[in-house]
Amino acid sequence: MIELKNIFKWVNQGANKTFLLRDINLTINEGELISIMGPSGSGKSTLLNVIGMLDGFDEGEYSFMGNSVKGLKEKQRSQLYKEHIGFVFQAYHLIDELTVFENIETPLLYQDMKSSERKALVADVLDRFNIVGKKDLFPTQLSGGQQQLVGIARALIGKPKLLLADEPTGNLNSKQGEEIMELFKKLNKEDGVTIIQVTHSEKNAEYGSRIINLLDGRIEK
Amino acid sequence: MIKNYFKIALRNLFKHKVFSFINIFGLSIGIAAFLLIVQFVSHETSYDKFEENGDRIYRLQQNRYNSGKLTTQWAAGAAGVGKAVKDAFPEVEAMAKLTPEEGVMSYGEKKFKEKRMFFATNSFLPMFSYKVTKGKLDNALTDPFTSVITESTSKKYFGNEDPIGKLISYNKIDNYKITAVVPDVPENSHLKFDLLFSFSTFLKFAGPESETTFDWDGYYTYIKVIPGTNAQRLENKIKVYIDKKVGPEYKKRNESVEYKLQPLHDIHLYSSYMMEAEVNGNGQSVYFLLIIAVFIIIIAWINYINLSTARAIDRAKEVGVRKVMGSYRSQLIAQFMFEALLINLFSVVFAFVLVLISLPLFNSLTGNELNFSLLLQWQFWLTLVLLFAGGTLLAGLYPAFIMSSFKPITVLKGKFTRSKQGTLLRQSLVIIQFAASVILMVGTFCVYKQVNFMQSQELGVNIEKTLVFGGPNVIDTATYKNRLKTFKTDLLSVPGIHKVITSTAVPGKKPGWNAGGIKLVEDGDEKGNQYRIIGIDYDFLEAYGIQVLKGRAFSEQFPTDKKCVLFNEEAIKLMGFKNAEEALNRRIDFWGDQYTIIGVVSNHHQEGLRQPYDAHIFRLTPNTSSYFSLKIEKNKDPQEIIQIAEKKWAEFFPGNPFEYFFLDDHYEEQYKADKQFGKTFGLFALLAIIVACLGLLGLASFATTQRTKEIGIRKISGASIPQLLMLLTKDFIKPVLISFIIAVPVTYYLLQKWLQNYAFKINLSPLLFILPALLILIIAIITISTQTLKAANANPVKSLRTE
Repeated sequence: MIELKNIFKWVNQGANKTFLLRDINLTINEGELISIMGPSGSGKSTLLNVIGMLDGFDEGEYSFMGNSVKGLKEKQRSQLYKEHIGFVFQAYHLIDELTVFENIETPLLYQDMKSSERKALVADVLDRFNIVGKKDLFPTQLSGGQQQLVGIARALIGKPKLLLADEPTGNLNSKQGEEIMELFKKLNKEDGVTIIQVTHSEKNAEYGSRIINLLDGRIEK
Repeated sequence: MIKNYFKIALRNLFKHKVFSFINIFGLSIGIAAFLLIVQFVSHETSYDKFEENGDRIYRLQQNRYNSGKLTTQWAAGAAGVGKAVKDAFPEVEAMAKLTPEEGVMSYGEKKFKEKRMFFATNSFLPMFSYKVTKGKLDNALTDPFTSVITESTSKKYFGNEDPIGKLISYNKIDNYKITAVVPDVPENSHLKFDLLFSFSTFLKFAGPESETTFDWDGYYTYIKVIPGTNAQRLENKIKVYIDKKVGPEYKKRNESVEYKLQPLHDIHLYSSYMMEAEVNGNGQSVYFLLIIAVFIIIIAWINYINLSTARAIDRAKEVGVRKVMGSYRSQLIAQFMFEALLINLFSVVFAFVLVLISLPLFNSLTGNELNFSLLLQWQFWLTLVLLFAGGTLLAGLYPAFIMSSFKPITVLKGKFTRSKQGTLLRQSLVIIQFAASVILMVGTFCVYKQVNFMQSQELGVNIEKTLVFGGPNVIDTATYKNRLKTFKTDLLSVPGIHKVITSTAVPGKKPGWNAGGIKLVEDGDEKGNQYRIIGIDYDFLEAYGIQVLKGRAFSEQFPTDKKCVLFNEEAIKLMGFKNAEEALNRRIDFWGDQYTIIGVVSNHHQEGLRQPYDAHIFRLTPNTSSYFSLKIEKNKDPQEIIQIAEKKWAEFFPGNPFEYFFLDDHYEEQYKADKQFGKTFGLFALLAIIVACLGLLGLASFATTQRTKEIGIRKISGASIPQLLMLLTKDFIKPVLISFIIAVPVTYYLLQKWLQNYAFKINLSPLLFILPALLILIIAIITISTQTLKAANANPVKSLRTE
């Protein structure tokens, strides 16, 4: 599904280059649940953003589902992630002005789906995540765990093949975190969603089928 | 999708109430002000536009020169010019000539003093495409003693009777047969009349010279040219032709005359000469008001741009999330444009309501006469739609582009900071807003000071406690002199009246009597000049407080005084005397008769201070019937005097309506336009400043919220509240100060231009700029302080904990 070959990413600081990613080689197959670990500043999030096509890279080859990402225009790239990738953030990033229902519905709006269809899909997800009762509330009226649940529901509504999660439990207490991880495991097992998560926690990393350790932008063998 | 945009836009509006309020309120004020001004402007520019062939009609405007110097400019031309031009140039399709008349008209028991009457040629009505409602237009004004009246006049005298063929009496002397009734002259016509008499009647009175002479002035002359005529070329040809025709004769007197083709459509706004048919509008004021309208709307739009881009940081996360959710940039632009659209829509609706509510107030405050019929005009709605579309696009596009350009990766990671460029842009826009405000404020101050100056100057003539009424028109010439004498003595015996004066003119208007060719007896014709003549009685000078500087005033002890004149200082100058003594006992030639100068009197402001001192010659005409003035004692109730005067009037001059005015009110009338302009200007300047301050308030509120953390840290590090206030205020005061520097030269230039309209004017002192600027600065500081005080006083523990 994902193939990264000799990926380099750097920023210029004066005359020097500071490398954010060095020579990343990584193959991820469909159905995997991968955890990326490493200390602060090791490049975990950068790698996740490169995979999610939110960020570019300077050298190397990246092929996503058979498409070479490098040559794509911004519009084509966003078309690609719009169809296939869902994002979950540490800070949830729900839109404050929209209700739970509307937040989850948003990605569907950008896919030109009919209103009735959208309603049905959102209702489905609300049901599955046990948040039907909260659908008319605004994000600020929810606890962190609930907000993240909505965030995940929103990421999944478009039926993506790949879910990218950047420290999804970072702002949650351990019990809430555990629930989220269980949910990930279940999604991975039952729905076959490929999941890549960045995490600090050894315990959460254990849920994955594979752990990738990063240090100074390099994958530790 | 639209529904979603709508929802989020609406929720944003409600969530950020202050911003929404500032935006909508500011825009509404801007739009409402713009609508009102545009209505006023469109009324002023609509004059005579209803005329079907208006673009082919010109008025012959006359300039007279003495010794090569332009001396008088007339709205009305010489008696002979119309026929001469019509006969000489085939491109002149038609010519109409009118000359004004006043008098008492009566029919049966009904009598009224009429002022809007003209002798008019038969060509006048067809040229101005009048249609008749009764009677026939053909030859309606051909025969002597025929008259055409308007519908209102018909109602006034004849009620529901059919007036055609009936006789209406003029001063109880002549009777005119009504031949046609025309609709009332539209409000936006520069030439309004109630009655017209055939010019052939005038010809009978004045003789055939009234068709040919170039020495009589006061005949409105209009020409209609054939399509495709080049007006400039025709004007040049007329000049050559007139020079040939009367040039040699005029040359002997060292005079010349020229005619300008004044387009009909320009008369109302760009013409202010002697004998205008009515007080015209002022093109410059209209143009200034239009600038204000544009200023206000721009200030309001800038508010929207400033507040939206300042708030962009708030919306950045949403933009990032939406982009990650799959939104294209174009969809985000559409969303933000939709918000702009919604705000503008609310504003337009609110502005509409504001206009409806404030129209009567606007009218009473500014003395304008706009009415609700503007709602029926398509121009009104077009302006509304244009403002809506313009506001949405101009104010909405830039913020939409800025906000939709955010990269999700930066905004979602929280690395997003405010860009320097954005701040710079906002500061520049604030500079523009305040520069405009300063210009308007200084302008208001200056207009106010000028009007005040004109009203407070010493006039050189005493116009207080003076009751004036137009003399009788219906008189028996044989007995008038004696009757007048007893009338005067009778009134003087009334306690409270200490002077009764007759004169041919009273202060407040240019005297109607203009005399050309006046010179010293021994001089040649080429030394002749034009003077304004005021005929007075023995008491006039003393009663009106005009000083005799040299020689003496008219006196009953000298029976020869009828052949004597008094000059004012300006007239002495015009005749070329070095000083007053030199003029005494010199003899002048006045239309073939000889008069002796027996005295020199001080200049006085016959007209408002817009006009320079005029050259006046006073002649003794104790039995004139033009104006009667009663000087009333200080502590006397004028109402009582009016009643007594009216009773005496009816007794002595039956058949004449009693119409009076107080001279100081009459004099003030001259400043009406200036006062009205000043009030309108001031009102809109105030609105502009309010809108600009609203914007500043929004920006200050936003910036202080942004800097809460910084303030907290500074406070913990030991900064005092005044220091913090200084820090926060500094950023806002800078653009305001820069705006002063930009505004001052612009304002100076504009005001210089405006003041050129006035012969007597205020000096543009630095104080005139400093005071309004200071006022705006104080307003700005107060505005900002409401926000900064709050921030500086906040408990730092709270602000730092939230991060």
